[in-house]
Amino acid sequence: MLQRLSNLTLGLVPVVLALLFTTVILIIVGAPPGEAYRNILQGALESPDKWASVVTAMVPLLLCSAGLLVTFAAGLWNIGVEGQIVAGALLATWLALNLTLPPILFIPLLLVAGLIGGALWGLLAGLLRVYGGVHEIFGGVGLNFIAIVLTNYLIFGPWKPADGATMSGTDPFPPAAWLPRLGDLPVYPTAVVLALAAVALMYFALRGTTWGLKLKAIGKNQRSAFLMGIPTSRYMLGAFLVCGALAGLAGSIQAIGVRQRLIPGVSGGYGFLALLVVLLAGYRPLWVIPIALFFAAVGVGSPRLELSMQLDSALGGTLEGIIVLFVLLAQGVKRKA
Amino acid sequence: MRKRLFRLLILAVLALTLLPAAAIAAPPVQEGGTVYTIQKDDWLSKLADKEYGDPLAYPAIVYYNNLKAAEDSAFTKIEDPEFIEVGWTVYMPTAEEATAFLAGEVTGALTFGIVMVGPFNDHGWSEAHYTAGQYVETNVPGARMIWLDKLNVGDRPETTLEQVVDDMVAQGAQFILTTSDDFQTDTDTVAAKYPDVPFLMISGDHAWTGVAPPNVANYMGRMEYGKMIAGCAAALKTETGVMGYLGPLINDETRRLANSVYLGARYCYENYRGGNPDDLQFIVQWIGFWFNIPGVTLDPTEVANDIFNAGADVILSGIDTTEAIVVAGQRAEQGETVWAIPYDYEGACAEAPDICLGVPYFNWGPAYVNYVQKVQAGTFEQEWIWAGPDWTDINNRDTTAVGFIKGDGMTAEEAVQLDAFIAGLADGSINLFVGPLNYQDGSVYLADGEVATDEQVWYTKQLLEGMTGPSE
Amino acid sequence: MKIEALDIRKYFGPVRANDGITLTVEPGSIHGLLGENGAGKTTLMKILTGFISADGGETRLDGRPVRFASPAESIRHGIGMLHQEPLDFPPLKVLDNLLLAFEDRLIPGRQQVRRVLEELCRRFNFSIDPDARVNTLTVGERQQLEILRLLALGAEVIILDEPTTGISAPQKVLLFATLRRLAKEEGKSVIFVSHKLEEVEELCDRVTVLRQGKVTGHIEAPFRAEQLVQLMFGQSLLRSDRSRVPLGEPALELQDVTVQTYRLTVSHMSLAVRAGEVIGLAGLEGSGQRLMLRACAGLQRPSSGRVRLQGDDFTRRSYRDFLAAGVAYLPAGRIEEGLIRGLTLTEHYVLTQRGHQPLFIDWVGAAEGMQHKIAEFNIRGQSGTPVEALSGGNQQRALLSLLPPVLKVLAMEHPTRGLDIESAMWVWEQLLERRKSGTAILFISADLDELMEHSDRIIVFSGGVMASPIDAAATSIEELGYLIGGVRDNS
Ligand SMILES: Nc1ncnc2c1ncn2[C@@H]1O[C@H](COP(=O)(O)OP(=O)(O)OP(=O)(O)O)[C@@H](O)[C@H]1O
Ligand SMILES: [Mg+2]
Repeated sequence: MLQRLSNLTLGLVPVVLALLFTTVILIIVGAPPGEAYRNILQGALESPDKWASVVTAMVPLLLCSAGLLVTFAAGLWNIGVEGQIVAGALLATWLALNLTLPPILFIPLLLVAGLIGGALWGLLAGLLRVYGGVHEIFGGVGLNFIAIVLTNYLIFGPWKPADGATMSGTDPFPPAAWLPRLGDLPVYPTAVVLALAAVALMYFALRGTTWGLKLKAIGKNQRSAFLMGIPTSRYMLGAFLVCGALAGLAGSIQAIGVRQRLIPGVSGGYGFLALLVVLLAGYRPLWVIPIALFFAAVGVGSPRLELSMQLDSALGGTLEGIIVLFVLLAQGVKRKA
Repeated sequence: MRKRLFRLLILAVLALTLLPAAAIAAPPVQEGGTVYTIQKDDWLSKLADKEYGDPLAYPAIVYYNNLKAAEDSAFTKIEDPEFIEVGWTVYMPTAEEATAFLAGEVTGALTFGIVMVGPFNDHGWSEAHYTAGQYVETNVPGARMIWLDKLNVGDRPETTLEQVVDDMVAQGAQFILTTSDDFQTDTDTVAAKYPDVPFLMISGDHAWTGVAPPNVANYMGRMEYGKMIAGCAAALKTETGVMGYLGPLINDETRRLANSVYLGARYCYENYRGGNPDDLQFIVQWIGFWFNIPGVTLDPTEVANDIFNAGADVILSGIDTTEAIVVAGQRAEQGETVWAIPYDYEGACAEAPDICLGVPYFNWGPAYVNYVQKVQAGTFEQEWIWAGPDWTDINNRDTTAVGFIKGDGMTAEEAVQLDAFIAGLADGSINLFVGPLNYQDGSVYLADGEVATDEQVWYTKQLLEGMTGPSE
Repeated sequence: MKIEALDIRKYFGPVRANDGITLTVEPGSIHGLLGENGAGKTTLMKILTGFISADGGETRLDGRPVRFASPAESIRHGIGMLHQEPLDFPPLKVLDNLLLAFEDRLIPGRQQVRRVLEELCRRFNFSIDPDARVNTLTVGERQQLEILRLLALGAEVIILDEPTTGISAPQKVLLFATLRRLAKEEGKSVIFVSHKLEEVEELCDRVTVLRQGKVTGHIEAPFRAEQLVQLMFGQSLLRSDRSRVPLGEPALELQDVTVQTYRLTVSHMSLAVRAGEVIGLAGLEGSGQRLMLRACAGLQRPSSGRVRLQGDDFTRRSYRDFLAAGVAYLPAGRIEEGLIRGLTLTEHYVLTQRGHQPLFIDWVGAAEGMQHKIAEFNIRGQSGTPVEALSGGNQQRALLSLLPPVLKVLAMEHPTRGLDIESAMWVWEQLLERRKSGTAILFISADLDELMEHSDRIIVFSGGVMASPIDAAATSIEELGYLIGGVRDNS
C-alpha cells in the first residue's frame, strides 16, 4: 500500500515540478500563467471541432507509440520511426496519385500501402542494425534524413503539382482516396479505431504471447536470450517491421486523411513525440493512451497562446519536453535510491 | 536547512502563480469613460492592462478614442497603436464598453485574422502582410487583427490551416486572410466549413476559375509593373549587356514575372540606351523554391555567384530572401562593378545601398482596408482582383498595390529616364505585353499587334524567346 | 579499524535475508563469513558497504555509529568491497582505471599513479601490466587490480565476497598470501565471504556462520569441519558414492577441429564423447577450454574439421540446430548470459520450454510448472520472483532447473561455481542422474576436486593446446595441478 502510494507520488511529483518550472518561465517572460494554461485548455477543448482535432492528433501518436512499445520491448531505440511514418505516406501517395478506384477498395489499399511502406523502411533500419552492425539510433537518424530528402525530391520533382512545386505539397488526392470524416468534424473514425486497436493489440501481444515475452527477453539481455535459443536477429527484425508498419499506417492516415495530399513534413514530428509518450508511459501500453491524449491536447491547444496572448506556441512543446525530463529524472533518482 | 529553503521557494512560486490569476478574476469596475493624459513610459497595452486587466484590450481604447477624436478635437487621434506621445489626451472607454468591444458586440468593431506562411518579421512577403494588418487597425476604427505566422510544415508540422481558422473563429474573427499560395487548396476546404465567414486568399485564382466556395475572394498585386520597372533600371545600368534573374520555383506566376523583367529591360535598352535589344543577354536560373532549403533547392548564394561568373553585371532577385543583393554587395566590395535589384520588401536595399538600383515591393494595406470595410458593410462578395499600382504615385502607401523605390545606385540621369518609363506605363503609351512576342520554343505567344488579356498574362506558359534558362 | 554490525535486519518481501545479525570484526584479523546459498552473506556485506540500506540495526566503526548512503561514502570511511559478481569494467587501460578511482581526490598525474601501481604490485607480488586493457585481464588479475584500487583509496576494511570462484590455483595462493599480509602486517580488517570450508579453515582467524538470515555461531580457529557443516546446514553431510553407468554410442565427436578467435587459436582437437560419459575440462582461464566447449555447443564455428552429433555432421549448423538436436549450454555468467534480469522465474520457464510454443501464454500453467521446479530444485524464491533477486546459488539452481528433461549433450561452464557444498552435491546428483538417459556431459571447472570426483576423463588445456584425455581414476589432484599450472598445488 505504502509502496503504491509512493509510486503514485513519484509519478505525480515530476508533473507538478514541470508545471511549476513552466510557470516560472511564463512569469519571467511576463505572461500570466493561469491565463496561458486556460488558453491551452480552451484551445484544445472548447468545441467539438477542437475535440475532434485532438483525437485526430492522437491517432499518429497512438499508432507510433504502439509500434515503439514493441521496439522498446526488444531494447531497441527506434529513432527511425519518423522516417517510417514518411515511408508509409510515400507509398500511399504513389498509389493515390496513380490509381483510380472506388473508395471502398481504394482506402483500404492505401492504408495497407502505408503499413507496407513503413514496414520496409523499418526493416531497413533493422537490417542495418542486425547485419550491418549499425546502431539503430544512427541508422534511424540516417534513414529519417533520407526519407525527408526523398519526400522533398518527389514533391519538388516527379510529383510536383501541374502549376508548379510548392511547399504545400503534391496536388490533393482524388476524393475517392480521402479517408472519410465523421460528418463535418475533422476526425477520422477508421483511423481512431485502427489506432486504439493497435494499442490494444500490442498490450495483449506484449503481455500474453510468447512473441512478446521473447522480445522482452531480447530487450533485457540479448546474450541470454540467444543462448536460450531465441532467434534474436529474426525477432529484432520483426520488431522493426511491426513498428515500421504501424508508423507507416500513421503516415498513410496523415496523407489521405489529415492532409489529403503529400506534404514535405508529413510525419508532423509525431514519431519523436511518440518516443516521448512511450518514455513517459514507462513502456506501459495502457498509460500510452492518456499520455497521448495529453500531448495531443497540448499540441492542438498551443497555437491559441500565440493568437490571444502573443506567446510563442512552442511553450506547449516545452511543457511536454520538461515533463518528460522530470519524469526521467525522477526515475533515475528512484533507481539510485 | 536546505529542505526548508526549498519549501519556501515552492511556496513563493505557487504564490506567484496564483497572483495573476486573482487579478484576472476581479476586473476593476468603472462608472464611465475617463479622460487620460499620456505620461512618460505609457504605452497602450500597459494602459489596457491597468484599466481592464487585459493588455490585449488596447484596440478598444483606439476605437473609442478615435470615435471621440472625430467629434472632439481635444482628443488626439491614435494613428498607430504603437506610437503615442506624452501629453496626448485620450479617451479611455469603460470596462463594459471594452468588454463589449472585444466580444465583437459593438457595431462596426471587427476582428480579422491573418495567416502567414513565414515569420511576421521576415523582411519579405509575410512582413508585408503583417504591416498591412497594422495599417488596417489604425485606419479602420474598430478593426482588430489576430494573426498566426510561420504556418508551414517546417515550423509547425502538427498544425493545419483548419485548426488555425477554427481557433481564429473561436477568437471572434469575422474575416480571414490567407496570405500564401500554399494555402490555396486548404482555404477552399476551410471556407466550405465556415460558409458565413468571408475569406480573402492572396495570390490564388480559384475564385476566378470557380473552384473556390462563394465566400472566398482572391486578390493579387500586379507585380508585373514593378518587375518591368526593375528590368528597365537594369537595362539602363548594364555595361556588359548581360543580366541575370535569380528565380524561385517555376510556375505561371514566376514565369510571368521573369518575362516582365525581360520586356522592361529590352524596352529601355532600345529606347534609352539606343542599343539593339537582341544583343541583351538575359540569364534565368531557378533555385527550386522561394527560399533556400538545404538539400532540396540549389543554394541561392552559389547560383548568384554563377550568374555573375557568366558575365552578368546586374542581378535581379525573384526569391523571398536577400542572397542576390548580398552577393552583389560582396563582389562590389572586391572592386567589381556589379548591381542588384532585390524583391518583396521595401527596405531590402539596405543590405548594400550603394549598388542597389531599387526594389519592387507589394503594398497590401489599402486593399486590406477596402476588404475589411466591405465586410463591415456586408458587401463582401466573391471576386478575383488583380490590382495595379496607383499611377499618379506608385509609392503612395495609401493607394497603391505595388510600388518601386529607386536605389542609391541610380544616377540622377538614369532616374529621369526611369521616371519617363514609369510615366509611359502610367499613361498607357507603353504597353509591353503586345505582339509580336514568341515563346522560347518559337511558338507564338502574342500575334503581331495582339494585346495580351489578363488571362494570357496570368497563365504564362513559357519564358520568352531570347531569354536563356529553362521554362519547365 | 574495528567494524561492528548490530542486529542488522533486511527483508525482501517475505524473505528475511538478514534477520538480526550481530557481528564484530577486529582489526588485523581475517574474519570468515560462512553460509549456504541464500544465507544472507552478500546482503549483509552490501549493507555494510552502503549498496543497500538496512531495514533495521546499526553499523559502527571503531565504536562510532555510521550510516552510508552509497558505496562511495563507505569507501571514504575506509570500507571497500570486492563483489561476488564482477562489476563491469570499462574497457580502459589498467592505469586509467586507477586514475578514475583517484578522480575526486587531488587528481594526481599518470606518472604518480603508475609509480603507486608499480609499488603496490611489488609489495604483493602481483604482475599487472599498467598498459593492458582491463577487459583482457583474467578474473584473478581483475581481482588483484580491484584490491589495489581499494588500497589506493585508503581502505582499512576489505570485504571479499566469494573471491576464489573463477580464479586459478596459483592466483588463489597469491590471494591468500596477500590477505594474510594485509591483516597481519598492515593491520587491516579482512572479511572473507565463502561457503567453502577448506578455504575458511585455511585462512580465517574467526568465523561467523549464517543460516537463513541468522547467525548460528561464532567460532575461533582452529575449526572442526563437522562443526562448521553442522552450523551451516543444520545437519552433517554424507558423501554419495559415484555410480558407474554403461557408456553408449558416441554422442559428440570432434574430428580435427580448429577454432580461431582473434585472441586465441586452438588447433586439431579430436575427441569422441560417448553417451553417459562425463568429460572434465581443466586449465587456467583462457587456455582454450571455453572455445572448445562452445564449439561443441554450436556457439563457435570451427575454422576447420568436423563436429558430429550422433554421427550427423553439424559442423556448419546453427546454434539453434544444436539446441534442437538436444544440446544444452550453461554459461559461466549466470546473470550476464544465462538468466535475464527483470524477468521472473515463470517467464524464464515459458521462454525455455522446448518444442512447440503456443502463441498465447498459459500463465497459470506456467506458474504451476515453475512452482514444481522450485520445489524440485529447492530454489529460495517464488515463481513471480525476478531472477536478480535470487542469491547467487539460487540463480544457478534456477538455471539448472530450466534445462530440458532429456538431453544428448550438456556443456557447462563452472556448474557449481558459487554453490555451497550441499547444493553442489545435490546438483551433481541431478546431473549424473542424466547420464542414465544417455546424456554426455562436458564441463569446465577450476575446482580440481570437482573435476576429479565427477569426470570419467579429464582434458587439460594449456595455452591453446588440448592435451589428450586422461582417465580420472588414473590420476591425482597433485598430478592434475601440475599439468594445469606447472605448479604442484596442495589446496
Ligand atoms: N534484491 C532482492 N530482492 C529480493 N530478494 C533478495 C534480493 N537480494 C537477495 N534476496 C534474497 O535474500 C536472500 C539472501 O541472499 P544473499 O544474496 O544475501 O545470499 P548469499 O548468502 O550471498 O548466497 P550465495 O552464497 O548464494 O551468494 C536470498 O533468499 C535472496 O533470494
Ligand atoms: Mg552471495
